[in-house]
Amino acid sequence: MENNAPVLEVINLHTYYGNIHALKGITLSVHKGEIVTLIGANGAGKTTTLKTICGLLKPRLGEVYHEGRMINVLKAHEIVSLGISMVPEGRGIFSRLTVLENLDLGAYIRTDRVAINEDLDRVFSLFPRLKERQKQVAGTLSGGEQQMLAIGRALMARPQILLMDEPSMGLAPILVESIFETIKTINQEGVTVLLVEQNALMALSIANRGYVLQTGQIVLQDTAANLQINEMVQKAYLGME
Amino acid sequence: MGDNIRAGLISGIAFGVIIIITSLIGFFGTVSALLGEFLFDPKTQPAALYSLVLILALLGLWAGIRAAKPVGTDRWSGALVSGAVAGLSTGLFVGIYTLIIGGFNARGLDIRGYLAQMSPDAIRFLLFQLPPATAALSYFLLFTTTGLAGGFLAKTLGRGRLKKANQQLKSKITELWESTSVAVWLSKFPYTQYIVYGAIIILALLLPISLGQYWNFTLGTVGVYVLMGLGINIVVGMAGLLDLGYVAFFAVGAYTVGLLTSPQQLSQFQIDFWPAAFLAIVIAAITGIILGFPVLRLRGDYLAIVTLGFGEIIRILVRSDLLSDFTGGPQGVRQIDGPSLFGISLTNDRAYLYMIILAIMLAIFVTIRFKDSRVGRAWVAMREDETVSQAMGINTYTTKLLAFAVGAAFAGLGGVLFASRNQYIGPEDANLLVSINVLAVVIVGGMGSIPGVFLGAFVLKGLPEIMRQLQDYRILAFGALLVVMMIVRPEGLWPSQRRRLEMHEEELPLEELEETEAIGALEAALEESTK
Repeated sequence: MENNAPVLEVINLHTYYGNIHALKGITLSVHKGEIVTLIGANGAGKTTTLKTICGLLKPRLGEVYHEGRMINVLKAHEIVSLGISMVPEGRGIFSRLTVLENLDLGAYIRTDRVAINEDLDRVFSLFPRLKERQKQVAGTLSGGEQQMLAIGRALMARPQILLMDEPSMGLAPILVESIFETIKTINQEGVTVLLVEQNALMALSIANRGYVLQTGQIVLQDTAANLQINEMVQKAYLGME
Repeated sequence: MGDNIRAGLISGIAFGVIIIITSLIGFFGTVSALLGEFLFDPKTQPAALYSLVLILALLGLWAGIRAAKPVGTDRWSGALVSGAVAGLSTGLFVGIYTLIIGGFNARGLDIRGYLAQMSPDAIRFLLFQLPPATAALSYFLLFTTTGLAGGFLAKTLGRGRLKKANQQLKSKITELWESTSVAVWLSKFPYTQYIVYGAIIILALLLPISLGQYWNFTLGTVGVYVLMGLGINIVVGMAGLLDLGYVAFFAVGAYTVGLLTSPQQLSQFQIDFWPAAFLAIVIAAITGIILGFPVLRLRGDYLAIVTLGFGEIIRILVRSDLLSDFTGGPQGVRQIDGPSLFGISLTNDRAYLYMIILAIMLAIFVTIRFKDSRVGRAWVAMREDETVSQAMGINTYTTKLLAFAVGAAFAGLGGVLFASRNQYIGPEDANLLVSINVLAVVIVGGMGSIPGVFLGAFVLKGLPEIMRQLQDYRILAFGALLVVMMIVRPEGLWPSQRRRLEMHEEELPLEELEETEAIGALEAALEESTK
């Protein structure tokens, strides 16, 4: 799995909100075909890391590389066209547009109508609920359906790398399980995933490797299997004594 | 009982104060004179007096209903007490007021120095041509009885009964309509839509021939507002950028065509109307982009304030001494040339109305093309959530600039037609009120909707022309209309489908039901898949 050069590499990232020093030197790498997870408590800087990678925030220091190319100087919309798609925190769907319009906007950067329709079919086969509700206004969907829509919309860009921000947030356990199953399926189809999660147990169960974030710094990194049995992780994030 | 009395007092005092204030500005005199002409035979002397009593009686009735409705419609006594108290207090207030103004008249004091509308004649009219004390007593009795009647009405109509009756009527009408053969035939016939559009276009093209000069001119003005409404519809309605300085682009278009075709200014550059018009539209669009560069980094309220400032800058610039060699300063640009085609001059009001109609059709075509395009989708997405749009790969900066440029081009076109029709453009044609009016056209008509723009322009620019006699109260009526609209129908008279959904999100009981059902189905499906 871990072959040579990483597809996404973050080196010594420092991001500020005004004067607040949110990221204090994050370094991480994601290899092709992996699921890498970033776990940590509230306010650890998980979302900030994702937002900096996809260009919504600009780092004050440090670099982000995509296949060896520095991308932290690019604008958010330019990064999307490199094949890096984001499932935003709190789903971030366009709640007053229909399901179909939402998915269509996911494919905004593409113009190949035939291939877009293929991907639409693929999303509908992953999430049959969305097909049934394609004409419905997205805000009237249930929480789980909205999360499906957010993932489906990101897939419509036919991404090489999928950045996911807390897909389990606010969902019933049974739905969380199904969402994570889907993430695994998507990964098996060849999409590299960087997954930010508070639900460390679920995240580590599907990931290859993981990073533990604490107050803007990475305090631990290992394979997912090792992290699951790590004493500190168990205590702090898995609720085991 | 205490609640009833309190409700009655509140309603009574409110109505009393409103009636006194509106009467002080001479509202009742004008409206009753108009209504008198309309309802009664104007030759019989007291026509206006009849309508005054009618208006006051209706107001009294309203006061009674308002007082009785929120409380005590369950019991007869409660409703009647509320209505009566409302009527009594209104009557008391207005009665005392008539005593006072009647007193001025009796002493021969003329108060027009303070209240311009209160001439002795007007006061005598308000006193029903009676002595003050009798008039006060009649006011008191009038409001007490009508207030009581209002309470009675509120009880008989009951809470929500009117609404229900209205709904029943509506559903019956649709039922009737659907059962008629015309509706069946229409729904089966696939080209109905196009035939309707065709009919509207033919009607629009026939209209100017059948109308006189006055109406051609008035409709032309309405048309310019439709054109600008369509433009701001793109900027505010579709892209969600609140622009309060929209008149700036109108002014740029108008002044450009003025400077290029008027023999007074810049005579060495004088050119024909058509190229001048084209240039004016292009320059307006470029102005939109230039303004957009620094401004569009701002969001929401900040954007509104900055565009407001920009609109004022343009107006002050064109009327300043600095540019008066070009723009004529406060005098404006005169003798603006009109268009001609194949040697025929097109400078009459009918020809202009045709040109305006054609310009509107062009604007509608452009709007529809944009709406269904990638850019249109980007605008809608950006209006919904700017950050997420960026994450979808939308370049929000250029997308915003494009919205500004297209909107500015429409306004520029409106300015060109307006200036060349009037053969004049001055700084006062470019004041803030124009921006506000154009925005109001879209808000009243319905944000994001093309037929809504027409409706809004007719209501705000056409109706005041029709009601010329009411002229002094137009602004009053305008304000009242806006307030009522925002309460009763915030989505506008003819809203777009999307806007209607946004404004009535809470009224979706059906979908909610489906949602719970959906979760059930989802869980069942999951269980099955895990087996």
